Amino acid sequence: MWTPVALSRDVPPLVVLPVVAGGRELALWRSASGRIAAWADRCPHRGMRLSHGFVRGEALSCIYHGWSYGAAGNCLRIPAHPDLEPPETIRVAVHVAAEAGGLIWVAPSAPEAPPPDPGALQPLRSLTVEAGTAAVLSLAGLAGDTLARGHLAGVEVTVAVQPIGPARCALHVLTGAAGAAERIALSRELDALRRRAEAGEMAA
Amino acid sequence: MTSEAIRNEWYPVALASQLGPEGRDTRLLGEPIRVDWAAQGRPRVRAADGREMATRLRYGHIWACPGTPSRELFDIPEADQPGRRLVDVGVVRVKCSPLRAVENFLDIAHFPFVHTDILGAEPHTEVGKYDVAIREEVDEVWATKVHFYQPQAAKSAAGGITTEYMYRVPAPTVSILYKTCPPRPGEWDVITLFVQPLEENLCEVWPWMALFDDETPMTDLIHFQQTIFLQDRSILENQLPRLLPLDPGMEIPTRADLTSVAYRRWLKRRGYTYGAQLVAA
Amino acid sequence: MILYDYVLSPDCYKVRLLAALTGAKITLRAVDFHPGAEHRKPEFLKINPAGTIPVMEEDGLVLTDSSAILTYVAAKAGPEWLGDDDARMRARVAQWLAFAQRLSASIGKARTHDMLQKPADIDACRAGGIQCLREIEAALVEQDILGARFLAGDRPTLADIACFPHSMLAPDGGISVDAYPAIRLWTRRIRALPGFVEMPGIHRLHDLKPEPAKA
Repeated sequence: MWTPVALSRDVPPLVVLPVVAGGRELALWRSASGRIAAWADRCPHRGMRLSHGFVRGEALSCIYHGWSYGAAGNCLRIPAHPDLEPPETIRVAVHVAAEAGGLIWVAPSAPEAPPPDPGALQPLRSLTVEAGTAAVLSLAGLAGDTLARGHLAGVEVTVAVQPIGPARCALHVLTGAAGAAERIALSRELDALRRRAEAGEMAA
Repeated sequence: MTSEAIRNEWYPVALASQLGPEGRDTRLLGEPIRVDWAAQGRPRVRAADGREMATRLRYGHIWACPGTPSRELFDIPEADQPGRRLVDVGVVRVKCSPLRAVENFLDIAHFPFVHTDILGAEPHTEVGKYDVAIREEVDEVWATKVHFYQPQAAKSAAGGITTEYMYRVPAPTVSILYKTCPPRPGEWDVITLFVQPLEENLCEVWPWMALFDDETPMTDLIHFQQTIFLQDRSILENQLPRLLPLDPGMEIPTRADLTSVAYRRWLKRRGYTYGAQLVAA
Repeated sequence: MILYDYVLSPDCYKVRLLAALTGAKITLRAVDFHPGAEHRKPEFLKINPAGTIPVMEEDGLVLTDSSAILTYVAAKAGPEWLGDDDARMRARVAQWLAFAQRLSASIGKARTHDMLQKPADIDACRAGGIQCLREIEAALVEQDILGARFLAGDRPTLADIACFPHSMLAPDGGISVDAYPAIRLWTRRIRALPGFVEMPGIHRLHDLKPEPAKA
């Protein structure tokens, strides 16, 4: 089961950030060469969140002691012991991450089908709403679940929905609208939608 | 109700120089306490039911024992040595286990990444061999012959030097660091971390120092240590699990972590589990 | 220029940061804000009767507002930071300098409450902080649509310096910054500026430094 966690555009090379997918806390990061990865957000050494770490080249390093990890989640380097070859057993739990249509998707293990492709659209923005997924979608008048479609501020939108908790979700919004004025109006409409959803307004 | 082993320890509950006549309402081991001055400048610490606890006024701080003290408050002989400046750094609240705060203080391998260009810097990341022991005669954890390269070892240090340290844990929520003293070779600067456990995952941390440094203004000394500790705070609030795992399995120590390994073993042996978790996931 | 400074104050840090970015020479005079409450003592009140930091002093000029101090440092050492390119940019800078007061009153207060036990209505401070972060995020989204990478234009100005520290330090006050992708990228841009200096709670970008070669 794929969960959308970010717009590709918002995770350029060398960026690492925390995301939640399927109830798990993950560190999402992109290597210098552009490879996207989603790992358990915890360094096996002392439990520090890896999402606070830093990316150099193709490795993610923990901010606490600089332990760095390669593509398979295997420990590459322990700076306190520069001559030590880290044992194979030191590993971060790796999830599957993939990109499609300007979205980053993650899954606990490789699903049979590739992630849904929203088609040729432009990313607008992601925003987190303190309200449940179903309530937000019905208030917005959008149809669908993981990829919901409809109109907001008079333009066509596709929204990838990331459930974060019973009363929290993130909306990753794509649109065909190209003009700056339309895009700004849509962005403001999303803020307005969030205000309404968080005020407990229900769909008519 | 916490166990005897936990209640019979000494805990810092206030900075004497900052405790006004209005007193201080705070918490200790999850229970409300009140700290104030009784007659003749004697500190008084009371539980919610009015019961008075054993108290001491030492090292700039007021100490309390909620149970029956299992031993006298630990001694820091250097605190009475003439010529030292005693620095009250003040309190900082941290959303973490009190034991994680102590353990972080015992760690040097994080200096290049968390205290970059102050206490450490790449590529000088190697932690050499050092000695660790649980000194049975005093029932304390000691690490000695710890050496590490520091770009700016103290406020009084200009440029990088290899600094030698000793670490000492005389009580479960107290750590004392002895460190090469640049202006006074042969002596050790003393830097402590006194931790008041409010809850199992919330604490107030009182750094305190006894230094040989006649040059640096007092406020600069305070700010240096606050800078260091606040750099640690963002780490401490982001470690998972929140409680310190005392059993092996959840975390992976290396040779650089021997002080931490000894500290956890010592806590477990004493039955000190406040802010700890025993079962590995 | 003498800056009455406290290492943990975001408002003091703004001035140190701008000085580092512009090469302005400032002399720091450490104020024992915590635990000594020196800013409330008679000697300090002679300098700033309001008892707040930062304060900047030079040749009889005394400035007690962080936005005014930033404006002064920029005017002297880096006029391009004033953002005077056109009417819109100038107004945006003024707006964000004023907005920074809301950040101090919400995130700033939540932070000193959680860290140093200063009194505050913590729920109100956190709610206000979230509202501020959402406004910055929305503004950065719009700037991006218009092809600008910073708050007042396509280059950094005082607007960014004024709003950057609290945007990064919100977690110190129990306010998450996880949900703001535009803020994340904007703060990275600021941290990548040549001459950038850090403060506790705001790390430098370790990824800008190459991995040390193996011995």
